[in-house]
Amino acid sequence: MPRYPEILAHHSEPIDPALWEWLRVKIDHVLGLSPGVLMILLGTVIVLFPVIVMALLWRKRRNG
Amino acid sequence: MNRDRSGLTGTPKKGIYYGWYVIAALFFASFLAIGSRQGFGVFVKTWEEEWGVSTAAISVAAATGWLMNGFSQPLVGFLTDKYGGRPVLLISLTVMAVATIGVAAISNVFGLIVLYGFVISFASGGISPATTGVVVARWFDRKRGTAMSILIAGGSAGGLIIVPFLSYVLIEYGWRTAWVIIGALALGLGIPLLLLVVRSKPSDIGLYIDGEEPQVTEDGEIEVSVRPVGPDFVDRWKDALSSKLIWQLSFAYFVCGITTASISVHFVRWAISEDISTGTAALAFGLLSAINAAGVLVVGTLSDRWQRKNLLGAVYLIRGLAFISLIVVPGSQAIWAFAIIGGMSWLATVPLTASLTADVYGVRNLGTLFGLANMSHQLGGAGAVLLFGWAFTRLGSYDIPFAVGAATLVVAGIVSFSIGEKKHSVRYVQIPVGGAVDSDLTAGDQGGR
Repeated sequence: MPRYPEILAHHSEPIDPALWEWLRVKIDHVLGLSPGVLMILLGTVIVLFPVIVMALLWRKRRNG
Repeated sequence: MNRDRSGLTGTPKKGIYYGWYVIAALFFASFLAIGSRQGFGVFVKTWEEEWGVSTAAISVAAATGWLMNGFSQPLVGFLTDKYGGRPVLLISLTVMAVATIGVAAISNVFGLIVLYGFVISFASGGISPATTGVVVARWFDRKRGTAMSILIAGGSAGGLIIVPFLSYVLIEYGWRTAWVIIGALALGLGIPLLLLVVRSKPSDIGLYIDGEEPQVTEDGEIEVSVRPVGPDFVDRWKDALSSKLIWQLSFAYFVCGITTASISVHFVRWAISEDISTGTAALAFGLLSAINAAGVLVVGTLSDRWQRKNLLGAVYLIRGLAFISLIVVPGSQAIWAFAIIGGMSWLATVPLTASLTADVYGVRNLGTLFGLANMSHQLGGAGAVLLFGWAFTRLGSYDIPFAVGAATLVVAGIVSFSIGEKKHSVRYVQIPVGGAVDSDLTAGDQGGR
């Protein structure tokens, strides 16, 4: 029996912990950046997206 | 004046249609909701060590969440049909965000089962295609498939970005901080974006579906575009249950659940049983993720030009081929074959099924009907996970379970091809104005919701 609903993400199910660990090692090996730097980079992407959408909408509304 | 396959009259307004901003906001909400749910897996080992519990104990929270997410979808879909997508999305994301922050305060598995298994998973059903798909269907008609596929890609992007983000926050600051941050992102960015941008339908802000401009006749009267309905349009969702097509779509989606969930859960164990290196498996997974995001966008765009049922049938058959490759292709080559072939089909069923449901039955009851289809998807997945696990334990191999998966996909493909889209879809058969009208899509509709 499966030990855990470990998922090759299809909809919104949790990712497999073992699979993620494999992936993280690969990412760290390929990029060679520290976890702190990667955290900041990814965090910036997450924050920028809604900010850009809101800015574009604000400009659209200002221009009528 | 423009009249095309959609049956709409009117001329598209120049500039970026507001509906695309709605898509962007829904994309971000899905990105956060799906990304954070997928991120659950990142914390399992940490919880095992900190709480001194087994993986099986944490599994209870994840499995509960899986089922709650499935059961919530018909309900949130019904609420979306009744009250509109905006309030359901706002309440769902707020509850999810607050509960996510609350996870940081728990100290045992019981708390995890309550907050993640029940509250977060139920609330995240309100940010699923059963809700977001309805909003998209009310804003888009001509490019419904494209718009839906962009939205679904948002969930995929969430997994690709938020899962590693949470992992690195975990490493730097610990798991409690990670959950607070993701909840705070939803509260601080997701909620304001939804509040600012998303409206349940175009008429809420005086716009028309697809961004059309009303025509002014020679008499100076405004001629608004009216969306006709198809021959199977239903006023009440229960009426759809007596037609064949909803069962065809739900059956195929049930098979989708069987095949995606089973692979998802058993992927690692299968890779290990085949002596595939962890590096190869990880790279193949990355390739599959990239291909599935591209695949859903391509299929969604094509579905606005071609019959959706043919694409849906093709997607199931392609996935069947991917399953067969796991059996017949030797060793590590199988994982690459699966990543490439299966990746093209992995998410593409979602926009096709949602769009077909809207085309046939109208958008008035789309939330409930697609919510029911989603529930069948989750139930199929849950059952298959158990059966595949049982079969592997008994047989010591995944060959027979994968063969069964391939067979169900072939049947789903045939069932999808047999859908009479040209007889039932509003894209091909339209009841003239004056008969039934799908009021949710009638341009200029000033009704509730």
